[in-house]
Amino acid sequence: MAGTGSFLGGVHPPEGKQYSEHQAIEVVPTPKQVMVLLSQHLGKPCEPKVAKKDKVTAGQMIGSVEAFVSAPVHSPVNGTVKDITLAPHPVIGRTMAIAIDTDPADNTPKRPAAERFGRDFRPEQYTAQQICEAIAQGGLVGMGGAGFPTRVKVEPNPAMPKDTLVINGCECEPFITCDYRVMLEWTWQVMAGIRLAARASGCSKVLIGIEVNKPDAIRVFEQAAAELKDAFKMQVVPLRTKYPQGGERQLITSILGKQVATGGIPPAIGICVLNVATCAAIAEAVVLNQPLTHRVVTVTGRAIARPGNYYVPVGMSVADLIEHCGGLTETAAKVIFGGPMMGPAIADLSQPITKTSGAVTLLTAEDVTRAKFEKRQTACIRCGRCLAACPEHLNPTRIAHAIKYGRLDVAENYYMAACIECGCCSYVCPANIELTGYIKTGKLQKARAAKKLG
Amino acid sequence: MLSKITVTPAPHISSKLSTQTIMLDVIIALTPAIGAAVIFFHDRALVLIGSCVLACLWTERICNWIRKQPSTIGDLSAVVTGIILALSLPPAMPWWAAVMGGAFAIAIVKVLFGGLGGNIFNPAMAARAFLTACFGVLMTTWTAPATIDAAMPQMGPMQTEAITQATPLAWAKMAVKKETSTETLKAQLSKTFWGNEGGCLGETSALALLVGGAYLLWRKTITWHIPLTVLAAAAAFSAVFYFIDPSRYANPLFHILSGGMLLGALFIATDPVTAPLTSKGMLVFGAGVGALIMLIRIIGEYPEGVMYAVLVMNALAPLIDRAFKMVPAGGIPNVK
Repeated sequence: MAGTGSFLGGVHPPEGKQYSEHQAIEVVPTPKQVMVLLSQHLGKPCEPKVAKKDKVTAGQMIGSVEAFVSAPVHSPVNGTVKDITLAPHPVIGRTMAIAIDTDPADNTPKRPAAERFGRDFRPEQYTAQQICEAIAQGGLVGMGGAGFPTRVKVEPNPAMPKDTLVINGCECEPFITCDYRVMLEWTWQVMAGIRLAARASGCSKVLIGIEVNKPDAIRVFEQAAAELKDAFKMQVVPLRTKYPQGGERQLITSILGKQVATGGIPPAIGICVLNVATCAAIAEAVVLNQPLTHRVVTVTGRAIARPGNYYVPVGMSVADLIEHCGGLTETAAKVIFGGPMMGPAIADLSQPITKTSGAVTLLTAEDVTRAKFEKRQTACIRCGRCLAACPEHLNPTRIAHAIKYGRLDVAENYYMAACIECGCCSYVCPANIELTGYIKTGKLQKARAAKKLG
Repeated sequence: MLSKITVTPAPHISSKLSTQTIMLDVIIALTPAIGAAVIFFHDRALVLIGSCVLACLWTERICNWIRKQPSTIGDLSAVVTGIILALSLPPAMPWWAAVMGGAFAIAIVKVLFGGLGGNIFNPAMAARAFLTACFGVLMTTWTAPATIDAAMPQMGPMQTEAITQATPLAWAKMAVKKETSTETLKAQLSKTFWGNEGGCLGETSALALLVGGAYLLWRKTITWHIPLTVLAAAAAFSAVFYFIDPSRYANPLFHILSGGMLLGALFIATDPVTAPLTSKGMLVFGAGVGALIMLIRIIGEYPEGVMYAVLVMNALAPLIDRAFKMVPAGGIPNVK
């Protein structure tokens, strides 16, 4: 039962990868201050483990919490804790964060560790237990965007045995190229991480899904997989270029032809999905004992002077990063924390980079398209394009309009909860209705109502 | 610099499609039919199409003024309504009746029900029903564009342009076709295909309508669901009767090509506002329209049934949508 390399629904937005796809990963100088959010993952937020004026060193654990679904945070720099305060968070508004002033005498930026890994790496030297422990200690979370703690995903669970490890190298979101660069430049590090994850999770089969618009990455990984003689089967699966090919549920359908049940999770059908950048982080955490304190961030779009892929400390502010990239151009209209399909737009540029932020996209008014820029919405003509585009086969216009008119019951009846918020419906809507926006609002309203009752 | 940065919900890019481009596509797809109407009915076609379109546009603009709204005529939906209404009128219709129809379509059928996207019934078809109720005789007076074959009973030889003729459908309805040879039938079929026959302005040329429909399908402005099921259901329905008694009932191909069948299947039943949203619902809707057309044509009193078939199914569309909901990709969740 193999997949067809595609799924029903989805859209073909302009790829926009040309701005940054050929820019090699560049190390960013250590900023004067970093702001490490205590909630960078799905699950319980961390509690600070340091106090104001404490000296911290790079890689030191500074926040954690006793909970299975959580991940500790670490200082990316040497310095002094300046404050523990509220900071902007792109999704939940505001959250507690630890502000650290870097030590100007000792601020050599951390460099990528890719050269430490090669084809001769032997994952057998680590037990599954050791690997899971290192992943948990390193504060690893899914770096593709959702930020689910990696340890929870990888650790074997007797109730849901996993046999297939799916590696997500799709990077279907327009403009973003950080995973592409990681795949090209850190191939052996990613491979080491994949093999460690397969060993830890007990998966016997590894499938690496890459969209066909990245032939270089497909070639490099096919060569690497051919050179290895691992016990498990490792296979590169070229996938159709279509958004949201990299959505976990869509990826599983495309590669395996299987469907994760509505409201269900991949391990329920024996699958573990990891992003390529997460795999690189696994290798670093297990082999080099380095926690997740830096990541590759694509800064891109027409409204930035120097687009590229940057190796950035987690906690660096978007403003500092934009400044390093030569600043915004005059035509900048939107700063997006992530890619243009799913990333939230931000106005407060003191927003720090998190473990899950793969990109900062700077769009001009033309990129946004005129109707969207002017926020001009017209009536729904029931054309049905959102139904055809929905990769989860929902009825977005019905759900969105039910929410608009305060009928959460109707919205739920049309499976509002199954929405993955990919944005395809809003993208295709000829009336320019913010369908995804309404559905997100509806989900929030429902969560609030549930909180009040509970 | 910061003041220029805006914040809106994701996604931040969108396809170039707009309501206006969709309506423009429909207008482009209607141009072959408009052209055929002008070829066969000359200035009558221009007068009727012009008065319907202008009436629709002005009514919409006046409604905007009354409701203190910005103008909505730019979305071109009123133009589409006007053209389709005109194409479904008999050529001899006076211009003032066409204007009344256009005004009714927009003011009563569309704006009173909430404007674009809110109407239950197809504005052009509801207006046509209104005109049929007001001007029964005018709405069933057909001028033939050119020579009609004398071999067909009830359709005498044709001399001048303004003569009144029975339409092929009326012929099919009333004639006892015992003398009908294959030759006559072939001649009639060829006429309905090219359009050289009596009938409403835009209904006569099957070829022009098929070209327009193909364009809409190619542009993905419509999907195959509704046109195919309308035609398949109609063909199946008429085939049953044809095989029972070919001397009394016309052949299915004739039914498909004549009257408002193609205009209805490709341009009217596919009106997204008044059709179901889900593809399963569209299949049911289309089959219902096709079956009702044939029910009216063969068993009912009228020779043509597209208008009533579409209106009846329009009324059922919301129910159909409710009955045929989308099933999520991961199946219906079992916890509710």
